[in-house]
Amino acid sequence: MAFLLLVVHFSITAAARAASDEGCLECHGNLEAVQAAAEALGITIDDARAASLVTFPAPPGSVHEGVECLTCHAAAVEIPHPQGMAKANPCASCHEDAVAAVNRSVHRDPLGATSLRAPCWACHGAHDVRPATDPRSTLYPPNVARRCLACHERQDYLQGVHGLGVQLAGLNVAATCVSCHGGHDIIGPDESGSRVARRNVSFTCGKCHGRVAETYRASVHGAALTRSDNPDVPTCVDCHEAHNTQDPFLPRFRLGTVETCGKCHSNRAMMAKYGISTAVFDTYVADFHGTTAELFRATSPDQPLNKAVCYDCHGYHDIGSIRTLGTKQVSERLLLRCQACHPGAKANFISAWTGHYVPSPSRYPLIYYVKLFYAFIIPATVGFFLLYIAVDVIARRRQRRVE
Amino acid sequence: MSGSQELLPRFTGRHVVNHLVMLVCFVGLVLTGLPQKFADHMWAKGLVLLFGGVERTRWLHHVLGTVMALQLVWHLLEGVWLHLVRRLPMPMMPALKDVLDFRDQVRFNLGFAADPPRMDRYTFAEKIEYLALVWGTAVMVLTGLVLLYPVRWVNLVPGEVILAAKAAHGGEALLALLSILTWHVYFVHVRQWNTSIFKRRLAVEPYVEEHPLEVERLRRDGHPRPAALQAWRVVVFAAVAAAIILVSVAVVWWLRVVPAGAEVVTRF
Repeated sequence: MAFLLLVVHFSITAAARAASDEGCLECHGNLEAVQAAAEALGITIDDARAASLVTFPAPPGSVHEGVECLTCHAAAVEIPHPQGMAKANPCASCHEDAVAAVNRSVHRDPLGATSLRAPCWACHGAHDVRPATDPRSTLYPPNVARRCLACHERQDYLQGVHGLGVQLAGLNVAATCVSCHGGHDIIGPDESGSRVARRNVSFTCGKCHGRVAETYRASVHGAALTRSDNPDVPTCVDCHEAHNTQDPFLPRFRLGTVETCGKCHSNRAMMAKYGISTAVFDTYVADFHGTTAELFRATSPDQPLNKAVCYDCHGYHDIGSIRTLGTKQVSERLLLRCQACHPGAKANFISAWTGHYVPSPSRYPLIYYVKLFYAFIIPATVGFFLLYIAVDVIARRRQRRVE
Repeated sequence: MSGSQELLPRFTGRHVVNHLVMLVCFVGLVLTGLPQKFADHMWAKGLVLLFGGVERTRWLHHVLGTVMALQLVWHLLEGVWLHLVRRLPMPMMPALKDVLDFRDQVRFNLGFAADPPRMDRYTFAEKIEYLALVWGTAVMVLTGLVLLYPVRWVNLVPGEVILAAKAAHGGEALLALLSILTWHVYFVHVRQWNTSIFKRRLAVEPYVEEHPLEVERLRRDGHPRPAALQAWRVVVFAAVAAAIILVSVAVVWWLRVVPAGAEVVTRF
């Protein structure tokens, strides 16, 4: 048995440098050899091309260790090598499925077949392909973004929580490009099957943030998206951003949520479709909490604010419509929110908030008439003062001329 | 104003200090209050930034408002003391003559009368401003206390009153500022460059022009003198003052010190 293992062992190490590989390396082993071979074959070749032809077989520890050159580059058995070799994909002979998947993806080559616009080795490396658990692997989480960002301008990912998590916090479980976009089978976000198509985003994020995604899909926003493909409602990335995802516990994020909600809720055309008032933003800013939040954000955006923002009363992932919740349940929930900061508040405290309604003669008449009183009395008083002053100025000038 | 011009005493140190405290409070309250009313404007944010953030702006506003409220109580007690104990006249009190003076001044300005009305220590313009200030300060203090302690007040009044108080606080503030910028600025900065509230004294010429009746009386009788103290008046004043102070302290005590948690029926 031990003898048998020994034989297997020797055969493997021998295979690591198969006889045929030695033959390949005679010409491809170093720069001089490449140039000498080219000269012998009567081919003119520039230095850059020559350098790119210098190669090495798969090193120990790589997944292809022991695979002979000719296994992948079969056509190279002929010397001189036949024309068009460079266009053939050497991976295709074993990894048909992967090549087929890439050929259905955004990275497919218009020429089709085994020719690829994004060749396998652009992402995986060539001969030194390693398992994803190996820190030297291009698929090792901290190395993924470097490959994708070589072509894609999405550096903001590196500033988001996921990029920072992978790169800085050493979290191999944090999302890399492929966690959300997939690998061989990436398709454009406008195609319905895409992992980042609007209605699929919550499922993609839900791979890690499962309970949050479920709560979201049950909310007024999530239900409208998953059930009827409503294009107006936000999905995860509309509030959190896809690449530059910020830590929602940062004061800056909390203070920015008013604007986040306002993006849609102050859009008249969009809100008209659902009969929702666009006064929510203005009435919030006009109220004590909103005034503070507005001024606070302008002067100290990185300091924590204890005044209520939209989601303190409405919730966030679990936002429900007042039409389905009913005013009673909303009032109860609102009171709990009030009491979190105003411990003495009782049920009557809610009456000190107009619920985003603009005061009118029929709703909150006292506020309406106080405002109306000042809207009249201020211009009337100041107008009277100015008129009196104007007459007085003219009279004094006339008097001075007389004197 | 030439150096040789005769100066008549118009105000006492008490007036000067009262005015100065009011001036500092008013300007400070406007600067810290207006950005809260117009929070979405860029200038408001800049002003808040100068004060060092909205929390400190608000703190300053509360401190200045407290000083102004104390001054209001002080002024009330001062008035009671000077009028009822020292038996001095109350020249700021409006009278029918002020309405007639206003009518005559307008008639004169429009050219329907040959001479302007002859006015006493305070013209109708000064009285309008004084009464508006006292009334306005009372409104601001009361509504301000409502806004400071909404949880407490909502047990006494409907919540709508708190929001109405907020509307009134902002409206009254704007009215006060615009009145000062028009009426006050015109009468004591433009019509006359009148520094008597700081220097106590005013030159004869503008004094005679604006307050001929008072100058006549001053030259005849001099400034009114306080009556001798009467024990029963002092005792009554002390009782009234103590009551006013006690009520003020009780209100503050109720608003601030009584533990709010004691009233909580349900908590989550």
